[in-house]
Amino acid sequence: MTKKRKRQDDFQKVKLKVGKKKPRLENATVTNFKTKSIHLPEQLKEDGTLPTNNRKLNIKDLLSQMHHYNAGVKQSALLGLKDLLSQYPFIIDAHLSNILNEVAAVFTDKDANVRLAAVQLLQFLAPKIRAEQISPFFPLVSAHLSSAMTHITEGIQEDSLKVLDILLEQYPALITGRSSILLKNFVELISHQQLSKGLVNRDRSQSWILSVNPNRRLTSQQWRLKVLVRLSKFLQALADGSSRLRESEGLQEQKENPHATSNFIFINWKEHANDQQHIQVYENGGSQPNVSSQFRLRYLVGGLGAVDEGLSSPENLKGFIEIIIPLLIECWIEAVPPQLAASVGNGIEREPLQVMQQVLNIISLLWKLSKQHDETHKLESWLRKNYLTDFKHHFMSHFPYALKEITKHRRKETNKSMKNCTILSNNVDHLLLNLTLSDIMVSLANTSTLQKDSSWIEMIRKFVTETLEDGSGLNNKQLNRLLGVSWRLMQIQPNREASEALIKAVYTLYQQRGLLLPVRTLLLKFFSKIYQKEELRPYRLRYRSKLLSRWLAGLPLQLAHLGSRNPELSTQLIDIIHTAAARANKELLKSLQATSLRIYDPQEGAVVVLPAESQHRLVQLVYFLPSLPADLLSRLSRCCIMGRLSSNLATMLIGILYMRSSFSGWKYSVKDWLSEVDYFSFLFSTLTGFSKEELTWLQSLRGVPHVVQTQLSPVLLYLTDLDQFLHHWDVTEAVCHSLLVIPARSQSFDILQSAISKHLVALTVIPDSTAGCIFGVICKLLDHTCVVSESLLPFLASCCYTLLYFLLTLEKGEPEHLKKRDKLWGACVSILALLPRVLRLMLQSLRVNRVGPDELPVVGQLLRLLLQHAPLRTHMLTNAILVQQIIKNITTMKSGGVQEQWLTDLHYCFSVYITGHPQGPAALSTVY
Amino acid sequence: MAAPMEVAVCTDSTAQLWTCVVWELHSGANLLTYRGGQAGPRGLALLNGEYLLAAQLGKNYISVWELQRKDQLQQKIMCPGPVTCVTTAPNGLYVLAGIAENIYLWEVCTGNLLVILSRHYQDVSCLKFTGDSSHFISGSKDCLVLAWSLCSVLQVDPSRIPAPRHVWSHHTLPVTDVHCGFGGPLARVATSSLDQTVKLWEISSGELLLSVLFDVAVMAVTMDLAEHHMFCGGSDGSIFQVNLCARPAQREQSFQPEQEPGKVFRGHRNQVTCLSVSTDGSVLLSGSHDETVRLWDVQSKQCVRTVTLKGPVTNAAIVLAPVSMLSSDARPSLPLPRFNKHLLGAEHGDEPRRGGLTLRLGLHQQGSEPSYLGRLEQMQAVMCSTLEKGGQDQLRVRVSELEDEVRNLRKINRDLFDFSTHIITRPGK
Repeated sequence: MTKKRKRQDDFQKVKLKVGKKKPRLENATVTNFKTKSIHLPEQLKEDGTLPTNNRKLNIKDLLSQMHHYNAGVKQSALLGLKDLLSQYPFIIDAHLSNILNEVAAVFTDKDANVRLAAVQLLQFLAPKIRAEQISPFFPLVSAHLSSAMTHITEGIQEDSLKVLDILLEQYPALITGRSSILLKNFVELISHQQLSKGLVNRDRSQSWILSVNPNRRLTSQQWRLKVLVRLSKFLQALADGSSRLRESEGLQEQKENPHATSNFIFINWKEHANDQQHIQVYENGGSQPNVSSQFRLRYLVGGLGAVDEGLSSPENLKGFIEIIIPLLIECWIEAVPPQLAASVGNGIEREPLQVMQQVLNIISLLWKLSKQHDETHKLESWLRKNYLTDFKHHFMSHFPYALKEITKHRRKETNKSMKNCTILSNNVDHLLLNLTLSDIMVSLANTSTLQKDSSWIEMIRKFVTETLEDGSGLNNKQLNRLLGVSWRLMQIQPNREASEALIKAVYTLYQQRGLLLPVRTLLLKFFSKIYQKEELRPYRLRYRSKLLSRWLAGLPLQLAHLGSRNPELSTQLIDIIHTAAARANKELLKSLQATSLRIYDPQEGAVVVLPAESQHRLVQLVYFLPSLPADLLSRLSRCCIMGRLSSNLATMLIGILYMRSSFSGWKYSVKDWLSEVDYFSFLFSTLTGFSKEELTWLQSLRGVPHVVQTQLSPVLLYLTDLDQFLHHWDVTEAVCHSLLVIPARSQSFDILQSAISKHLVALTVIPDSTAGCIFGVICKLLDHTCVVSESLLPFLASCCYTLLYFLLTLEKGEPEHLKKRDKLWGACVSILALLPRVLRLMLQSLRVNRVGPDELPVVGQLLRLLLQHAPLRTHMLTNAILVQQIIKNITTMKSGGVQEQWLTDLHYCFSVYITGHPQGPAALSTVY
Repeated sequence: MAAPMEVAVCTDSTAQLWTCVVWELHSGANLLTYRGGQAGPRGLALLNGEYLLAAQLGKNYISVWELQRKDQLQQKIMCPGPVTCVTTAPNGLYVLAGIAENIYLWEVCTGNLLVILSRHYQDVSCLKFTGDSSHFISGSKDCLVLAWSLCSVLQVDPSRIPAPRHVWSHHTLPVTDVHCGFGGPLARVATSSLDQTVKLWEISSGELLLSVLFDVAVMAVTMDLAEHHMFCGGSDGSIFQVNLCARPAQREQSFQPEQEPGKVFRGHRNQVTCLSVSTDGSVLLSGSHDETVRLWDVQSKQCVRTVTLKGPVTNAAIVLAPVSMLSSDARPSLPLPRFNKHLLGAEHGDEPRRGGLTLRLGLHQQGSEPSYLGRLEQMQAVMCSTLEKGGQDQLRVRVSELEDEVRNLRKINRDLFDFSTHIITRPGK
């Protein structure tokens, strides 16, 4: 039964039921494997001669593939080329001509992917090729570009704009050189010429109308926007290229010649005197031959083609304006249809707004270009005649709308309505749009036409004033425009009240805290420009704007407040202050005088915390201060000696004060000279190098390593740092010179020595630099007319001994003090030579019996050195008996011990220089 | 006299014995002295080789001497304020004076005060003319240097204020001296300032060519005629020589540094106030506040001669001696008129109008008046157009008319000739 059943199983009929899956057959072939093709990314063939890319294709292969009929091959060739060139950049140089040939040719390829690859390749190549390199091939590239721009296929036209973008980015000078063709292409991209016969007789500006192509992927407005963006970029490049000075528009400084600052030779006398710098004054000056000449054999980067005038001639510019402006106005109308004008108060979409913005941008650029060639304002009047009415009709009828829109928006903002979110994001654009429009319109007006234009000018003025007054959120670009418009408004309107209102608006903006540096800079520039313009007028016609003078008078205080927080801003402030001070502006000088104590504070005043360049200007500003009271002078002297002004600047300051003093003979216009008493006390405190407080503090120092003490002299020496010492020494040079040139020598010497005996003689601790400097000054000032006072001499003698003691005990281990040695030694020796009585007093003070054993060798060495010094020899001879006595004392003191080397030397020197001398006392030999 | 003699003209500020002394450059012999008043710095000028002008120190007038009558003061030019500096045009037609912050311009032949320029903001410190009198340069204590074109200054246009051709504002402290080089409108101008720099400018382009920074304030500057060297007098008494045409030194030369005499003239003990170079560029004259005038040999930088005066030197200049200075019988070609104190045009009732013709340049109207060249072209165009329009016929008619005219004239001439010969040859009765 089982067998039977089994057999039945074999032949059992499989019942297929509806809804159940059919079981798989046993002999069915499994087909669920996947196949993969074999990639051969690299060729096996290796060519040793030329570098290859990953696919082992060299440049020749790739370039030849560009002619392949298959788009895929072409695309891969372009990608491969990019790959190859990124690996081996040197190929670019070698094959630039071929590469550009082929790449430019596929700008007009039918396949979108190929064009995309070509654009990418160009994007990659452009930063690597310099303008000079590409300039010979540029005619070719631009020819392909313009053929792409004028191509019948829309896709190619669109992609051509991308190419244009890249070229504009990298080679603005080259591409603007081809402007005449490209501008025509631009026009053709968005419009077409009407060739119907009825229109031939009408003027050519009417013959272009905007074209609408329904087949395009984009809406025609989007497309126009794209083209307009490029056109404005292109014009921007054109304007940048041709304008010589690329400063912020509308706020150009009134420099006499922008080139003058650029290339003059700057020589430092010291280097010139050392034959390190040489001067060659060329015909046109400057360190390089001047290339600003109008004459040009051919364009420097323009290739070999014929000179392309583009928009540089007024006629061409006029022609282009005639074509483009009607088109732009059409674009504008399309963006803001007049019938909708009533409802635009609710705000407009982003897209039309952008179109409007571009339209205005282009017009403003055209205006800018026209101004560059417009010397006689002919073009301006032409523009005014042709377009003012149009603009007034189309643009200005919307202008209050913009204003209304903003106010409305503000009101709605309080309601927090959702609808305004989009407008909020556009708000900034609105502002710039309005400003651009005002800019365009204002530049059409001038003083003579003010009456006729008063309606819309008043509108603009109101807008500008309001924007300025709540202008906290303005960015740099907007403010620049805004100030440009206000400047122009002030220029065309001689009316005092009107400009005063504008100044007031700017001033309120200026007074706000927390403005960014560029914004602050712009405002400063604006004010200084107004100020300079005012200054140009003759006295009678000049009116003083109260706000302007208040602004000016506030500057010194701002400078003092600013401290070291913002050096750049400080520099600008100092520049303006300097100019106004040089022009003897009364308000400024008054406030400068008032804040001078803060500015010239030696601790945290601007003069010490700012960088060196500003310090230089501030020091020069001292010259213009109306009066220099004693407390200011004491601060200045502290500034000099504290070392935070470099010694050069300190010297300059002393020189300026000399000029201000009555001794210079330089006629100073202000009545009050620097008083002589103040001048002398300034010089003396600078000479001392330490303030009174510091000196009294020093008196309490004892037994510190910085204080040198001897048993023979009451004066102790305080050792200063080397930096301070050298600085002090340099400043002393300048002080010396100022004292030297005072005509009554003996009187100035008297003043000096009375000051020394009053302030220094009583001290016991003297800084070494002070002692050295006083010696130096006395040496320089002393001549036969001067009488040295008795009270001074003992002080000088003890100072001198202490200094000499310090010099002789100086160890090799102190390199810092070693550098002082020569200077101090020179000062000591020269004062001993000049004043023999000081030498005598010093020798008298050498009472050797009071000296400990460790100081004795020093005294011996000192005597030996003094004997050896030639200028002192005669004086030593006159004091021979004294010297002899000292030596005798030393010998007796040392008699107990072994005869030391220094004593032997001393005896030798004495015998040579004094005993050996014919006039020397003969009895000396008996001593030994 | 074979060659014009060079003399040194010096003044000091005390003027005990004389105001101005003239001495022979090489021998040091005193030639002449002029008496009367004290001349201020930059206040001495020779006018036309016939008169000597000296601005008085702190006083309201300019003294004028005839060069050969040295003892007699010819005229005092009264001014509205203390005169800070004076200069004259090399062609002798104009006198410029700086009075406070204004520049006064007189015409010498009439004595009229033509114009007062007030573009400076503080006292004018120095004035210089270019060699051809076409431009002048003014430096002031407001740190500005202005270059003026004389023609544009002289144009009568009451509505327009004369503007300088260039404003040079690179100095940061008062300008102390100006020197104008050779070459008229193409000249280079050196300016010195208390800000320790000397700057060299070009009048034609208005560009700054060179700036040299020193360690001390510079009080005086001059150049030699060939403009090879620039000499700068410092406030510490040194005179610095800047080589304007130096070539980089050969390396071999550095082995004998002691042969180079250096680039500094040392000797003055106080600030140098004035500098002047002789025509051949070999001798430098310097005056200083240490009351000496020194003569230097430029080549070796040695002091050749020292003349001690009685006070700080205010002016020292080397000039080519005019004839009238040396020969006593020379007389000025024209008497000096009285210089007016008031601006011409601003009429004062008490001033009688003297007979005389005043020529002033006409209005320079911008743009509206076509240039002569333009007018010529226009006329040419008109002529051409008429010729073309009229064609050949009109031309022929015109030619024949002219020929007739010529024939007629010939006939008249012949008649006249016949008539006169007839009268002359007629036998007398």
